[in-house]
Amino acid sequence: MKLKQGSFLWYLYLDKLYCLLSVRNVKALLEYFHLLDVHHNNTLNDVLFYHFLHHVTSWNRTQIMIVFNMLDWNAMGEIGFDQFYMLVCILLAQQNHLEEQFIFRHSRPVFELLDLDGELRIGAENFHMYNFLFNIKKQDLRELYHDFDITGDRRLNYKEFKLFTIFTMDKYQERQKAEKDKDKGKKDLLKKKRLHHVNVSLKQFLGINVSESRL
Amino acid sequence: MEEKPFKASLGSYGSDKSSPDNDIRNLWTRATLSQPKLNVPRSSVGENSDMEGGGIGRKSRRWYNQKAGRDSDGGWEEWDDGEDKGSFKQEDLNESSLLELELRRASSLRSRLGEDVDSVTDTEMSSSESSLNISKHTPHRAYWMEQQNRLPLPLMELMENEALEILTKALRSYRSGIGRDHFLTKQLQRCIEGLKRRQSKRLHLLVH
Repeated sequence: MKLKQGSFLWYLYLDKLYCLLSVRNVKALLEYFHLLDVHHNNTLNDVLFYHFLHHVTSWNRTQIMIVFNMLDWNAMGEIGFDQFYMLVCILLAQQNHLEEQFIFRHSRPVFELLDLDGELRIGAENFHMYNFLFNIKKQDLRELYHDFDITGDRRLNYKEFKLFTIFTMDKYQERQKAEKDKDKGKKDLLKKKRLHHVNVSLKQFLGINVSESRL
Repeated sequence: MEEKPFKASLGSYGSDKSSPDNDIRNLWTRATLSQPKLNVPRSSVGENSDMEGGGIGRKSRRWYNQKAGRDSDGGWEEWDDGEDKGSFKQEDLNESSLLELELRRASSLRSRLGEDVDSVTDTEMSSSESSLNISKHTPHRAYWMEQQNRLPLPLMELMENEALEILTKALRSYRSGIGRDHFLTKQLQRCIEGLKRRQSKRLHLLVH
């Protein structure tokens, strides 16, 4: 999923450590929310919500309605600003490839979102339904249930889910570190090559001068 | 503490919109140097400011005052001695103290100018001083009000244009779903018309 370039959300950004918006960004988002809240209920109904997401994201109708049902945790048929703010944070986390960090930092709210039935347990089908939201690949899902389902009921409770987020975060940090080292290695190699070229050209230059002076 | 301003604004969302005449930015865009009258109440400035904005406002105001003090020779110590953390708090700074600060700055600038340019007449100096006061006074108040109280105009424009596109598409769904005569459809239509009017007003101001 990519946010529409030049849209209002495209200009917002998350704090990379806490994966939340700054207060100034929230103020702007609140104004935006009020512009869309045409019925002055401090909420967006399903039609307004659909058109908003359809305009700013590349999601289809099914995905948008899944998100709506997930966020409508009071079953009011409308989305308030709290849910809207949560959605925007999730969108921005996806846009900036901060999904692992977001799930780690906000494991409790994410768990509660995924726990549709309110049973304090998440089945594999829940995860599968929302993998477009958090970018969890099938392979990772299989590993998740294989490694972290300690109770063996093929569902994750909050503690097991938290362990999963910690593990995913560690993997993400290792990946970041490996990428940094790779970049550093490339830069060092480039430096060495340049130095080598400079040395070779200097030697050639000096070699020519010495032979001229001898003559 | 950050939640309070938003709850207040949610509760009193209509009140901000009900006083367009007091919007200093309308005066700012049309103000000239010959119009020193800016009677926008400053009491609303500190109320809705968030911590981040307030902190940045405080820091940048201190930077500005220090820079202005540094620019005028001998004014630096004056600022240093007189500088009190409490006096730079946004809620304590009122119109009269702001004017006083501007006048002090102008007088220190005048003394500096007087050393370099002896041939400038008093009348020219007084007119330049008054225009300096006005030119310094006019944009700063609007700048600080905008910083503390409102979102920048370009951002508002972007948000309104996007909201207009979204709501226009939603209107089609409303009409096909619940009909043209439903009160919700009419409410949405009124909103769209309001946004279009604001958009055309902005375009009109830009052209002229």
